[in-house]
Amino acid sequence: MGTFDGILSGLSVAFSVQGMLFVLIGVFAGTFIGMMPGLGPISAIAIMIPLTYNMEPTVALVLMAGVYYGAVFGGSTSSILLNAPGISGTVATAFDGYPMAQNGQAGKALAIAAISSFAGGTVSVVLLMLFAPLLASVAIVFGPPEYFALMLLGLTAIASLSDGSTIKALISAVLGLMFVTIGMDSQTGTTRFTFNNSNLLEGIDFLVIALGLFAIAEICNLIVNRKKTIKNQGNIGSLKLSKQDFKEMSGPMSRQSFLGFILGVLPGAGATIASFIGYITEKKIAKRPEEFGKGAVKGIAAPETANNAATSGAFVPLLSLGIPGSGTTAVLLGALLVLNVPPGPLLIEEQPDLFWGVIISMYIGNVFLLILNLPLIPYIAKVLLIPRPMLISLVIMFSMIGVYSISFSTFDLYLLLAFGVIGYLMKLYNFPAAPLILAFILGGMMEESFRQAMTIANDDLTVFFTRPIALSMLIVALLSFLVPIIRQKKTTSV
Amino acid sequence: MKHSKYWIGAGVLSLSVLSACGSGGGDSSSGGDGGGGEEENYEPDSSLEIVAPAGAGGGWDTVARSAAEGLEEEGIVDQGIGVVNREGGGGANGWSYIHNQEGNPEYSFVASPPLLLVPLNGQSEYSYEDFTPLSNMIADYGAFAVTEDSEWDDLNDLFDDMKENPDDITVVGESSPGSMDHMQFAKIAAGAGVDPSSIKYVSAQDGSALTNLLNGQADVYSTGITETVEQVRAGDVKVLGITAEERLEGDTVSEFPTATEQGIEETFVNWRGFLGPPNMSDAEIAYYEETFKELSESDYWQETRQSYAWEENYMDSEEFEEFLAEEEESMQDLLDEVGIDRGGE
Repeated sequence: MGTFDGILSGLSVAFSVQGMLFVLIGVFAGTFIGMMPGLGPISAIAIMIPLTYNMEPTVALVLMAGVYYGAVFGGSTSSILLNAPGISGTVATAFDGYPMAQNGQAGKALAIAAISSFAGGTVSVVLLMLFAPLLASVAIVFGPPEYFALMLLGLTAIASLSDGSTIKALISAVLGLMFVTIGMDSQTGTTRFTFNNSNLLEGIDFLVIALGLFAIAEICNLIVNRKKTIKNQGNIGSLKLSKQDFKEMSGPMSRQSFLGFILGVLPGAGATIASFIGYITEKKIAKRPEEFGKGAVKGIAAPETANNAATSGAFVPLLSLGIPGSGTTAVLLGALLVLNVPPGPLLIEEQPDLFWGVIISMYIGNVFLLILNLPLIPYIAKVLLIPRPMLISLVIMFSMIGVYSISFSTFDLYLLLAFGVIGYLMKLYNFPAAPLILAFILGGMMEESFRQAMTIANDDLTVFFTRPIALSMLIVALLSFLVPIIRQKKTTSV
Repeated sequence: MKHSKYWIGAGVLSLSVLSACGSGGGDSSSGGDGGGGEEENYEPDSSLEIVAPAGAGGGWDTVARSAAEGLEEEGIVDQGIGVVNREGGGGANGWSYIHNQEGNPEYSFVASPPLLLVPLNGQSEYSYEDFTPLSNMIADYGAFAVTEDSEWDDLNDLFDDMKENPDDITVVGESSPGSMDHMQFAKIAAGAGVDPSSIKYVSAQDGSALTNLLNGQADVYSTGITETVEQVRAGDVKVLGITAEERLEGDTVSEFPTATEQGIEETFVNWRGFLGPPNMSDAEIAYYEETFKELSESDYWQETRQSYAWEENYMDSEEFEEFLAEEEESMQDLLDEVGIDRGGE
């Protein structure tokens, strides 16, 4: 009964005073780091590596994992209150979170985010516990053709991300695809559109674009409209969720816990893509999709469930195969090497106490996060009571600190401002920003996997149609593109 | 990929932590009667800064951090040492940072073959000649892995097939074409008579290189030896050959055959050493040579080498510079053969 003994020793580690203390420290630090626009779990975990040198490996991993999912949990706060995404996994949360906060329901938005995060986090840990070794084989099913099909499927949702003109949404998406080509091309090493500027070699960081298009653009908007009084300024509203709210949340929470988890398992996909796909699928199947983007309950619940579920999912390839599927898990892998616990396929077998200790600590951590976050909401939401000129300065300051901490380059600060202006102009002329963001996220990986697949198949396009998973995703992509057009034709012809 | 940029922030913060510890620690060392003797002896008067031109957790970072810890733990350096991650441009950002530190001998950085390959590929304006080679520390080697059920049992099986049907064999690695994983494979393959320009190389990041080997999309995985050990122990992959001259010592790694023992007279050394800003004085160079030599001979470093399966490969400044010149030439020739030449932009 190796597994049983493993669970027992895991329980004893996770429930030890030391274990509990470090989970608490981890999730608390994570929440805080997540709330700061731009600061993410990767930098936080990297800071901790030297501190963990002499720690027991399980305790060290419990701490660092806590920072990771804590940051994803806390990242929604600034998306909702300030339209300034705390981490890239919570960009999609701003789509409905910020409008809801603007309607004077900031408390409710934060409560929905916290509860969905908790649901996503907890359900996915159950999945992680039950299926991690089994899912290891799923993690490697996806090759370049499958990734290409998945990214294309995501892109077909562009039209659904806009309320107004489809043409404008498509133009916005094309801009996103263009921005993502900047930098060194992964398959040839050739530099593209860098104008011999070494700051552009690695491309533009996602958060620079996201903070520019959302936070800075909104600041421009607030400054230009400063004479207009907003009636709900500083109104936080009640935290209480009605039965109706819970009913609306239950669908996205149950579906996205699974979908987000699976996307998290796939190396390279991760929390950001999971949150977008979660948002899109819920909008597609919603009875009233027109509510999305204006403060819909489901629009917050979907990405918040999915990103937290994906975070646990990312531990599957890391712990069961030794494959880091994301930037954060790559740092965790480095940390494990430093701790002399080389992650690989034998880890679960040889170090069951580490595996189970971490998993059990994640249950505890998610409970801590809920207990920590819910009572804090009224206080955190008081941010909105800060006088507007001061709040604006603070958002600009935090966005700049966040961006600067990514690369320590002042060039990125200019880019941030440039994207702020682009975002404001787009807002002024009713171009939706979400398609640009989505295309930017998916486009890079779509191009890379397309070209990898082409190289492997010696430029034979049939590779996309002979593999069942890739083919079925392409068919769904085609349908999701055609069905709305056919429907529209029908309604106009009637 | 994009995410990885975040690691830098960490480095700077840990620098401030480390240097704070350092200055608080043993300042009352023997040779501390400030000033004087600048011509003959150099002794840094503030804490040292080692730059890893990449993110935390990677190869450069590991060398930088273990060297910093070793230098402090063994009491070789009393001034305190900070490790800073300056990521970006495949190293180019860190290099340009050090290049701007001329006259600040407290700064140095960790380097390995990309210092030669990235400029040769036209992706950085600085080459090794723009820096002062201080000391080389270790040698690490590449490994070529295939899945356990692969039809190939040694490198010659693989290369024979490659000569006949180069289009059927996909080689996957993490680095971009023309860089480490690609070139180490090209070098050994060329040594076996394979046309290096016929190699079908795919670059895959974020863990998908190993994924694509395991799911059969790629046939060969070109990587470092450490990356393969756990997979081999689990029986998922086998290593057809490593790029070292002789077999390594250690539990699993000693089972890995070298290319040379399979009759392919070619090696690839993933050297790791330290370089400083341009135009350092002889006294400054001598200080570093002595410091790194002492580290290289310490018990701490011996243990570190063992745990990462690195080989001792100390070179002083002069030897290191000659070695770099030879390596650069051989890399340039190989890049020409592979058909990637973006130099001289």
